[in-house]
Amino acid sequence: MHKRSTFWAQVSIASTFLLLISLFAFSQGKTISGKVTDANDHTPIPGVSVQIKNTSTGTITKSDGSFSLQAPANATLVFSFIGYQQQEVPIGNGTPLDVKMTAGVKSLQDIVVVGYGTQKRNEVTTSVATVKAENFNQGGSRSPMDLIQGKVAGLSVTRTQGNNPNSGASIQIRGISSLSGDKNPLIVIDGIPGGNLDLLQQDDIATFDVLKDGSAAAIYGTRGNNGVILITTKKGKAGEPQYTYSTYLQREAVAKRPSILSAAEYAKIPGADNKGGDVDMYDMLLDKDNLSHYHNFAASGGTVNSNYRASLYYNDANGIAKQNGRKQYGGRVNVNQTGLQGLLTMQFNLAANFNKANLNGGNSGGGDNKAGNAGADFEQAVQRNPTAPIYGPDGKFIETNGYNNYNPLARLQQELYDRDQKTYSGDARITLEPIRDLKLSAFGAIVRDEYNDRQYKLKSSRSSVQDYKGGGYAYKANSAAMDKTFEATADYTRTVHSDHTINVLGGYSYQYSTLEKYSMDNNGFLTDAFQDWNISAGNALNDQTLPRPKQSSNKIDNTLIAFFGRINYNYKQKYMLQAILRHEGSSRFGANYKWGNFPAVSGGWVISKEAFMQDITVINNLKLRAGYGVTGNQGIPSYQSIITLGTGGPYIQYGQWIQTYGPNKNPNPDLRWEKKKEFNIGLDFSLLKNRLGGSIDVYSRKTEDLLFNYTAQLPSNILDNIFTNVGAISNNGVEVVINAVPVQGKDFTWRSDLTFNSQRNKMVSFSNQIFKTTEQYYGDLPSPGNLGSAIRVVEGGPLGTFYGYRYAGLTEDGKWQFYKKDGSIGTIETMNPDDKTVIGNGIPKYMASWNNSFRYKNFDLSIFFRGKFGFDILNLQDMYFGNKKWTPNNMLTSAIGKNAKLNADPQFSDYYLEKGNFVKLDNITLGYNFRLHTKYIRNLRVYASGRNIATFTKYTGLDPELQDTALDSGIDGRGFYPRTRSYTIGLNLGF
Amino acid sequence: MKKSKVYISAALLALGMSACTKLDEKPYSEIISDQFYNNRQEVMSAVLRPFTHAGAWAAPTGQTGYWRLQELSADQLAWPQKGRHGYDGGNWIRLHYHTWIANEDNAWNPWRLMFWGMGFCNNTIKDLTPLDFTKIGMTEAEKTTLLAETKVLRAWHYLKLMDLYGNIPIVTEVANSASPATKSRKEVFAFVEKEIKDNIDGLQPLSPAMVGRATKAAAYAMLVELYLNAQEWTGTPRWDDCITYCNKIIAGEGGSLSGTVPALEPDIFRAFANNNSTSPEDLFQLTYDLRAGNSRFGWQGDFWHYRQRQIYNADVDGNNSIVVIPSAYDAFKDNDLRKQNWMLIGPQKKDPALRTSVGDSLVLGTEEYSDKPLVFVKEIRKNAAGETGPGGMTQGEENSGARFAKYLPGKQSDANYWGNDFVLYRLTEIYFNKAEAMMRKAGGTASQEAVDLINTCKKRAFKAEDWSKEAYTTSTLTMDELLAERGREFIFEGKRRTDLIRFGKFTTAAWWDHQPSSDKYKLFPIPFKQTSINPNLVQNPGY
Repeated sequence: MHKRSTFWAQVSIASTFLLLISLFAFSQGKTISGKVTDANDHTPIPGVSVQIKNTSTGTITKSDGSFSLQAPANATLVFSFIGYQQQEVPIGNGTPLDVKMTAGVKSLQDIVVVGYGTQKRNEVTTSVATVKAENFNQGGSRSPMDLIQGKVAGLSVTRTQGNNPNSGASIQIRGISSLSGDKNPLIVIDGIPGGNLDLLQQDDIATFDVLKDGSAAAIYGTRGNNGVILITTKKGKAGEPQYTYSTYLQREAVAKRPSILSAAEYAKIPGADNKGGDVDMYDMLLDKDNLSHYHNFAASGGTVNSNYRASLYYNDANGIAKQNGRKQYGGRVNVNQTGLQGLLTMQFNLAANFNKANLNGGNSGGGDNKAGNAGADFEQAVQRNPTAPIYGPDGKFIETNGYNNYNPLARLQQELYDRDQKTYSGDARITLEPIRDLKLSAFGAIVRDEYNDRQYKLKSSRSSVQDYKGGGYAYKANSAAMDKTFEATADYTRTVHSDHTINVLGGYSYQYSTLEKYSMDNNGFLTDAFQDWNISAGNALNDQTLPRPKQSSNKIDNTLIAFFGRINYNYKQKYMLQAILRHEGSSRFGANYKWGNFPAVSGGWVISKEAFMQDITVINNLKLRAGYGVTGNQGIPSYQSIITLGTGGPYIQYGQWIQTYGPNKNPNPDLRWEKKKEFNIGLDFSLLKNRLGGSIDVYSRKTEDLLFNYTAQLPSNILDNIFTNVGAISNNGVEVVINAVPVQGKDFTWRSDLTFNSQRNKMVSFSNQIFKTTEQYYGDLPSPGNLGSAIRVVEGGPLGTFYGYRYAGLTEDGKWQFYKKDGSIGTIETMNPDDKTVIGNGIPKYMASWNNSFRYKNFDLSIFFRGKFGFDILNLQDMYFGNKKWTPNNMLTSAIGKNAKLNADPQFSDYYLEKGNFVKLDNITLGYNFRLHTKYIRNLRVYASGRNIATFTKYTGLDPELQDTALDSGIDGRGFYPRTRSYTIGLNLGF
Repeated sequence: MKKSKVYISAALLALGMSACTKLDEKPYSEIISDQFYNNRQEVMSAVLRPFTHAGAWAAPTGQTGYWRLQELSADQLAWPQKGRHGYDGGNWIRLHYHTWIANEDNAWNPWRLMFWGMGFCNNTIKDLTPLDFTKIGMTEAEKTTLLAETKVLRAWHYLKLMDLYGNIPIVTEVANSASPATKSRKEVFAFVEKEIKDNIDGLQPLSPAMVGRATKAAAYAMLVELYLNAQEWTGTPRWDDCITYCNKIIAGEGGSLSGTVPALEPDIFRAFANNNSTSPEDLFQLTYDLRAGNSRFGWQGDFWHYRQRQIYNADVDGNNSIVVIPSAYDAFKDNDLRKQNWMLIGPQKKDPALRTSVGDSLVLGTEEYSDKPLVFVKEIRKNAAGETGPGGMTQGEENSGARFAKYLPGKQSDANYWGNDFVLYRLTEIYFNKAEAMMRKAGGTASQEAVDLINTCKKRAFKAEDWSKEAYTTSTLTMDELLAERGREFIFEGKRRTDLIRFGKFTTAAWWDHQPSSDKYKLFPIPFKQTSINPNLVQNPGY
């Protein structure tokens, strides 16, 4: 047992006793009643919390704003409601109270979720961004992260496959902080660390809170290096039961098609193979009638002591490609109850998602483009000989004979690839408040994510005929992940002399995760009737001349255990201080290095509350924040620190074949945490009667003890690499957010929100006394040609640097010429790796977004622009397909356009690098709110949205927005899955 | 009531706080090494691990290892760029031109693979040495034999590493010595010689049960190779030692796969056929068997065309990579059966089982000759574009160059389909080596005994009616002719660079698209990836 745990146990028991001693009951007094109205327009405000000061006894106002409760004669009532300034009213002589509440500076009173607790916006001392439901991107979203794309400065959200319903988003905060560890932020859903995004529906999410800097993320120490995204779902509210129904219909349309040669143009290319037809295969892979629809129905309600919210949803999402759909349904239930005279609170969440994905179509390809392997149907469509008919005279599909060619339409019909996925989570939190403001809480959660994959290839399929003697091929696989979390916290808040507020939090966290997988395949079926549902019927089990059936299974696990604490101190809401310490251990590290400490400290100074600022009326709020925090990363494979043996293929011994075993890694008992140290300074401001607000953050972060698979000394190690902690990466940046209300009138309001960030990274070092690496390569260019790696990272240089030959013009007969190291010009036979040099960088240096929302009477309109700047794109599509040498395949029109003089096979050089700067008109939404004078309908809104409407760029490829969260960013691969414009009409109804 | 609830909560909390803080790892799909070696099979699985690994570097199975450096830097085989395929960062062009550098894959990957295999040997020796064999149902004698076999196998790794890199560190333990220092080629030579000689008596003789293992026959063949090259590698000739160990093998002192004494295959093609694991000619091989062992010597990736499976009715295709250099093809006479059988040239026919109609008999191309008959030509040049002349390394097309057919897998339906072993040493080589040592001893002239040794081998490559014109005599078997005949006999076997160096031609001769290079290229550079992290490594001269 770890010694600290004993300490914590003692603390908790001791404090529990203290609470017991101080328990006291209230004497019930007289009944007091009253009404709450808006000070401005005198309308009643329902749902206001009315609480007897210094107790947890209270009620809420009814729909007419009235309330009534029992209270001691000398009591003071506290009235609070989101968006209004809190008010305290003494009961006085017992006449009905007439309480008028004034709207507060809303954003400053907002609740910010900071991990294991909340803070008010004006108390926050770290870099935390909050996005609420009303500011989400509108329209249908496959990933919850789509909702806040471009809304948070420094948060990059990219969907490289556009609106493919079966692809995810890649997300990153403040740039790349690791080479081989996790690069994604930690997602925490309602307190579950590592929550599953599939369990979230856009209508169930209340807020996103993004902990960007180290002093904020340190409370999640171990996985805080890439920031933390805390997602809070909607909860029920006390008051009348409510129903909400949301729905939308969405259609995708190709934003930009690759420009390929027509049959007539193709036929003129030397080496073209004119087969007489005229086919637009790309067009035939599109599902032009695609339509997605979505329904979410929620019921919520409650009393002052208990509330609930339950929602059900159904979604039939269809992508732009054929056989590219996803059907899902599920639900979420949230129940909260406070009982035991307000001492005991229980919160309970259940969520489930059942989805069925058709993965057969819509594969983007790019890498291994053999038929049946991860597919590449659109790449095949682009390069398919346009003169080749689809069907022969016998009605059978025509396959072209080129290298790695296949008929994508045939493959779609001949193969099947489904995924059936089930994801569940359940969590419960019990909070005991034995004395006022001391909360003891226990939290448990289970998240399970499992899927079954199934594939079948018809006996007559090309793949089956070629590889399985026409016997069909069946495959099944299962993956099951399970995360169990237990956390216990104690939280105490105390205000001394009304000026000093102290909050202390302590806690323990235990998380255990497993991943189990198995798969099997078989071939040699007599009939297609079974597909994959009778896998033992395949004759390959018996017939040795068929490819051997394969089986596999494996299991991995890991454990994380942490003790953590946080202290917040606040003097008159003017000076704030926060300190965090997390002590955490991961099973993945070496025996002596499993535990690490992650401290953080931050402070805030509300300058505008100082006496000398009181006369400067133009400034409503001005706050300076500064923080420093250490966070960690343990996102590496399990079992890297211990000596293990793995299989090495069969060999013969005395006439018998047996499996061989040998060491499969160089063990590293010193493997330890990758740690990031980050300094952040921020300024929050609000000017001109809060019409202009915003924040500026400057940060400097450095990841040390970088986890990486370094080249090991060989000999005397057995393998050539070892997972160890050596190097350092730094990131520096600035983030600016400006929120303005240029026009605010009775009928017309215009809000304008701007975010900007700039980010620079540097590979500080790769080396220490033992391990030295001077360079690393990324972005291997694909076959055919295998032209090497496109990206090289060197010590002291930035990440994402393109490294290759410099183009020096073509020879008269169209051959490549490049600059040699000595400045002379040579042809490709004379080039060696020394002639390569830095030719560009693929990681955007600047990102910006600009949202404008207008409200005119019942109409609302929002227009959202987003852009990335300061990076280069390697246009692989042009490199491979924009070349006449791509015959006998079809090619892009650039082969006879800007690359017409080229008469040589593809070579990687700066010739194919282009500036990637772009601005997108990403979202336009027009909505109308009906004001219905009926007691049955609370609100009704209809809207129409267009997404990815226009792209302004000089980049000649299909879309300059690439995945930019990895070490090989900036390469526009050969996948041709279409980026789409999405058009949505939707309706929200509350009743 | 209230209080009891509080107590329960407190107890629950305390329980949570004190929950286990154990973070030990237990892998499920791998084995922790100190829980292994409980029975014979587990011991054998570690002894055999370096053998399966050797396929990655000693045989042409798709990685840049010993085999590729030996063949692609020499005068018989090349991997030319063929249209949009095969430039591969210029790797193969640099091997052909002798312009490789220390900081590239051609220097690093063979080192990586070979020292990795050597490390498996070290690990097996480390783990088995303290093991009490009697406790797991084995004998001390078996332990001695298995350790001897692993040590000889380790010596073979060093022999091949020394061949490529010359001066290398010698390490016999696992991760125990930081920054091991370079030893001179002479020291490595002495180490290899001593290790083999110290352990040879503990080895099993070659027998059908010992196929694919490091037996006495294999160890003798290693010594033969060592002594044949001793002059080049150490400056001191060892011709008599070479002949001595050749004689031991020929006399059957190392055992044989078939019969008591190894014998030349009367049918020259059976040494490479899919049942060659019983060939009396083979002395040491990496053994594979797709049907019995689900393991194949996968040469198709490096050699076969994208549609080549149609020729054989096989189940895999290739990457259309390595071809025969035109001058090496021309070095065979037309009546040489090896030319006709070990290489593919001309139009290629589909296996009859794959023909859908009478007219559907030809394999079709996919690139420059898309949907046209695939006709392999000996030239490596752009014939489709009308190019004439010698061609070059960037001038290939999909059908350029004669193709490898020395090893043939048979048809999918054959019982022995892809049962071919990759032969590392065979008796023919011992005949050649003995003859060469005798000639070198005699100042480069052939005795009748030397001529007979070569003629015995060569005779199998000609029809009886042609043989009288093709047989060597003491005057026609010159040193140059011996090198040429070695080339014809051992083409594709991964030996050519060593032979050219021993005959003084590797860096001084010109062939096809290759011009004479400089002496430093007789050794490959110590990879930059290692010299940059191990200060005790010394780079080879000139790099």
